[in-house]
Amino acid sequence: MIGPSRVAELDMPGAAIEGASTRPAQSYWNESWERLRANRIGMAAGILILIFALIAILAPVFSAVLTHFQPQTIDLSQTFSPPGGKHLLGTDELGRDTLTRLIWGARVTLGVALLTVAVSLTVGTAVGMMAGYYGGWLDDLLMRLVDTVLAIPAIFLFILMSILFRPTPVSLALIIASVGWGQVARLVRGEVLSVKQRDFILATRSIGARHLRLMLRHLLPNVLPVLIVAASLGVGQIILIEAALDFLGLGIQPPTPSWGNQLTNAESYFFHSIWLVNFPGLLIFVTVLASNVFGNAIRDAFDPRLK
Amino acid sequence: MTQPLLEVQDLHTVFSTKEGWVKAVDGVSFELHPGETLGIVGESGCGKSVTALSIMRLQRPGLIKSGRVMFKGEDLTKATEAEMREVRGREIAMIFQDPMTSLNPVFRTGWQVAEPLRLHHGWNAKKSLTSAINMLGKVGIPSAVDRAEDYPHQFSGGMRQRVMIAMGLTTTPEVLIADEPTTALDVTIQAQILDLLRHVNQEFGTATILITHNLGVVAGMCKRIIVMYAGRIVEAGPTTDVFAHPKHPYTWALLRSIPRLDAERHEPLKPIDGLPPNLVDLPSGCAFHPRCAFKIEKCSRDVPALQRVGDTQLSACWVTQAGTELKGA
Amino acid sequence: MPESAVKPLSRAWTTADPLLEVSDLKVWFSVSSGVLQRVVGHVHAVDGVDLEIKTGETVGLVGESGCGKSTLGRAVIRLLEPTGGKILFKGSDISHLRGERLRALRRDMAMIFQDPYASLDPRQTVGDIVGEPIDVHHLAKGKERQDRIQELLRVVGLNPRFVDRYPHEFSGGQRQRIGIARALAVEPSFIVCDEPISALDVSIQAQIINLLERLQSKFNLTYLFIAHDLSVVKHISNRIAVMYLGKIMEVAGGSQLYRRPRHPYTASLLSAIPIPDPVIELRRERTILQGDVASPINPPSGCRFRTRCPRAQEHCAEEVPPLESYGDEHRAACFYPLD
Ligand SMILES: Nc1ncnc2c1ncn2[C@@H]1O[C@H](COP(=O)(O)OP(=O)(O)OP(=O)(O)O)[C@@H](O)[C@H]1O
Ligand SMILES: Nc1ncnc2c1ncn2[C@@H]1O[C@H](COP(=O)(O)OP(=O)(O)OP(=O)(O)O)[C@@H](O)[C@H]1O
Ligand code: SF4
Ligand code: SF4
Ligand SMILES: [Mg+2]
Ligand SMILES: [Mg+2]
Repeated sequence: MIGPSRVAELDMPGAAIEGASTRPAQSYWNESWERLRANRIGMAAGILILIFALIAILAPVFSAVLTHFQPQTIDLSQTFSPPGGKHLLGTDELGRDTLTRLIWGARVTLGVALLTVAVSLTVGTAVGMMAGYYGGWLDDLLMRLVDTVLAIPAIFLFILMSILFRPTPVSLALIIASVGWGQVARLVRGEVLSVKQRDFILATRSIGARHLRLMLRHLLPNVLPVLIVAASLGVGQIILIEAALDFLGLGIQPPTPSWGNQLTNAESYFFHSIWLVNFPGLLIFVTVLASNVFGNAIRDAFDPRLK
Repeated sequence: MTQPLLEVQDLHTVFSTKEGWVKAVDGVSFELHPGETLGIVGESGCGKSVTALSIMRLQRPGLIKSGRVMFKGEDLTKATEAEMREVRGREIAMIFQDPMTSLNPVFRTGWQVAEPLRLHHGWNAKKSLTSAINMLGKVGIPSAVDRAEDYPHQFSGGMRQRVMIAMGLTTTPEVLIADEPTTALDVTIQAQILDLLRHVNQEFGTATILITHNLGVVAGMCKRIIVMYAGRIVEAGPTTDVFAHPKHPYTWALLRSIPRLDAERHEPLKPIDGLPPNLVDLPSGCAFHPRCAFKIEKCSRDVPALQRVGDTQLSACWVTQAGTELKGA
Repeated sequence: MPESAVKPLSRAWTTADPLLEVSDLKVWFSVSSGVLQRVVGHVHAVDGVDLEIKTGETVGLVGESGCGKSTLGRAVIRLLEPTGGKILFKGSDISHLRGERLRALRRDMAMIFQDPYASLDPRQTVGDIVGEPIDVHHLAKGKERQDRIQELLRVVGLNPRFVDRYPHEFSGGQRQRIGIARALAVEPSFIVCDEPISALDVSIQAQIINLLERLQSKFNLTYLFIAHDLSVVKHISNRIAVMYLGKIMEVAGGSQLYRRPRHPYTASLLSAIPIPDPVIELRRERTILQGDVASPINPPSGCRFRTRCPRAQEHCAEEVPPLESYGDEHRAACFYPLD
């Protein structure tokens, strides 16, 4: 037994008790956060996304207090009013308030993006982790599945699915995620394979840890940085995919507003009511740009070697 | 005494890092005589490699802040890049620790070994290759004619180190700097390579600087030895004298801390307490003072200079310079 | 002591019996190649090893890189499944234990690793690392757990205040101490030390060796100490086993092995070790081995050392030399031994 009593009798001549430097403990997460914070542009992009997200969450409040319209209120006497006055950003062909629809559209667009990322990360991580950790036939099976999924031409799948399902935001997210998880699974598997080689995994096995502990306590935290980077870089891509599907009429169906389907209608009125194109287009552009910039900032912060 | 071939005078090489300036080489001076074998020992990070690289002016991104490297009456720190290219490989050759990465994987071995000859002597491919094969044979590569056709990955670690040595020797340089040439190798292969280096030194009369952290290796290889600690030379002298009666507490403690194969009885080792210093934030005065068993008050205040202690040795220590013998339990 | 993981074979095991008995142990790795990953051969990493380790002793294991030292070390504490042969630990057969019984065995054995950087999870604090064995085996909770961790850190000479530091904030020697504390946390009786000092600074190595020796005498530990540096192994071990290409060539007490090696490989290994004394080095006779180690995928027939052996004869290629006794626990596997 190595208990206190045994220790007390243990004299340690010469072995001065050693410590680390005096600065406060620095976890990997702390340090990454410090690096992220130091990146001004990256932080600005992150804050912008955060603001958009807040607006989306508070959409009902905004439409009650700020715009005084509901997204689906039709007012045929006010069609195509230009920005200014009662309708800050004008109205569309049915007299619906553009700003209100953009705010509610953010809810749908960002919500779909978030859900998609969450689902593909969860499924992809679970599959990649199992494949990489257990190896052998399970690895073969899962990775062939991933190959198959990634071999399906995504756009046809989306078209097929949306004909079959008539997408709601949730089902649209699931449709996009049904392809997205494959990439994540591959990424996670690769990372697990390399982390698995490191001695600390063997060391943890040598003390009798179970598989679940190895995967959750050791592998997951070590692949998490890659996941975070993948997620933050993925958001922009998903917004673009989603907007494209909506625009083609394969995604969120009107009258539910999304940034993508607001563009669909706008296209016919391009020449006399340019604001109908500008504002949703600009929002998509800015959001995708911001999430790419933020994603890159995260990557730099979490993996300084890449710099 | 002959005229020194190479003279390093008060060399300072620094690196700029996030935490501040790293004084990797902090006032190093020594001489190398023709045909001599000089050992540089010290722990990891004490500046051995940077010293060697600075001589070759390959210390980048490090900066040679001051000091001179006199080679054949010329100061290499002031030489132009073109002049340095002439010196490197032709007059001073260097071999490195990692024989796995020092050869280019996409060229045939013979071609690479012959490269210095094409470069420096302007020989044609055929003539240089013949000479390279000859040299490969001399460093103990069996059936060198055939092996010269092979790519580096087809050689084992020890064989690659032989190839590196052959490459260094093709132009019959006057100085060979070997930076931990055997650290990555097994002991039996290490013995082969050391034997080869001894042989090279005798046959070609090449002055050799052998950098290592293994005290056993210097003991068997070098006539003279330099001990470095935290970027400075703390002791220098003939190997036999330094081992028999070290004049610096670091050397003294290091020799007592390593287990010896020929030890008669099991005696507990006497470790050096504490940790090697952080070069960004060196202890004041003598850099060894936080770990030194002999320190006096002055040690933490003033930096001791390297001075003659005894008949043949140099030591940078206040206590031994004052005449104290190093003894203790 | 944890409850014994396995039922003893026949009679009860006592500390007078060998703690570990390995017989004809084989660990092979399959080598596959081509697109279909067909198995084309086997690395005979450990290929018929017999070894005994007594309670409280240190057996050193030396040999060149790739000769199977780590594989043997990992197999005897069952981090690898043996391909063949038998491992008896405290008298019971653990060669093919699985599941909960293997987990229970883990409380009685531990391992210390070579690379103090790779063997600690960079995302965990020192407290997490040292506390993990305690959690895994439910040895303590809450305050008691904290106390245990602090004690363990103190035992290995680390400041207990640094429990919530991360490994990258420590030097190599300190990290190695953390690894030792983790190994001690399960209260093992047997520890495999796989080159625990090779990655450390010269002036730090002695600190760690002394620590291991002190822990051994205090906690009555048994070590299998793997290293390629014979001088270190000779210092710390009671007996030394010399390995070559997956087989044990010679076993003997340290000074016996040094003074009177029987096996030609041992002799050349000894002569290759530099001694930090210029006077002795100058006088030493050297037998320098020629060539490189043969491939463990197709080891030479008969005696594996014959491709480099200065004493090899025809017979050496025909038959595998058995480990024969030369009295006093000295055994060597050679047809034409040195005298
Ligand atoms: N490119 C670099 N940037 C910053 N610091 C450096 C750089 N190269 C070397 N150093 C520092 O210079 C010091 C001396 O390094 P050097 O490589 O000479 O050590 P060494 O004695 O050769 O050690 P080793 O035995 O590990 O090879 C080290 O502390 C190292 O941190
Ligand atoms: N998982 C594995 N798969 C295939 N081959 C392996 C595996 N692990 C080890 N080997 C091979 O088995 C042989 C023995 O390896 P091992 O790591 O036991 O050697 P070692 O004596 O510990 O060497 P070192 O001194 O370099 O640590 C080597 O040829 C190695 O390449
Ligand atoms: S100068 Fe002082 S501290 Fe430095 S080695 Fe000599 S006695 Fe020790
Ligand atoms: S058996 Fe033969 S080949 Fe093997 S070590 Fe003895 S003499 Fe050499
Ligand atoms: Mg170096
Ligand atoms: Mg090993």
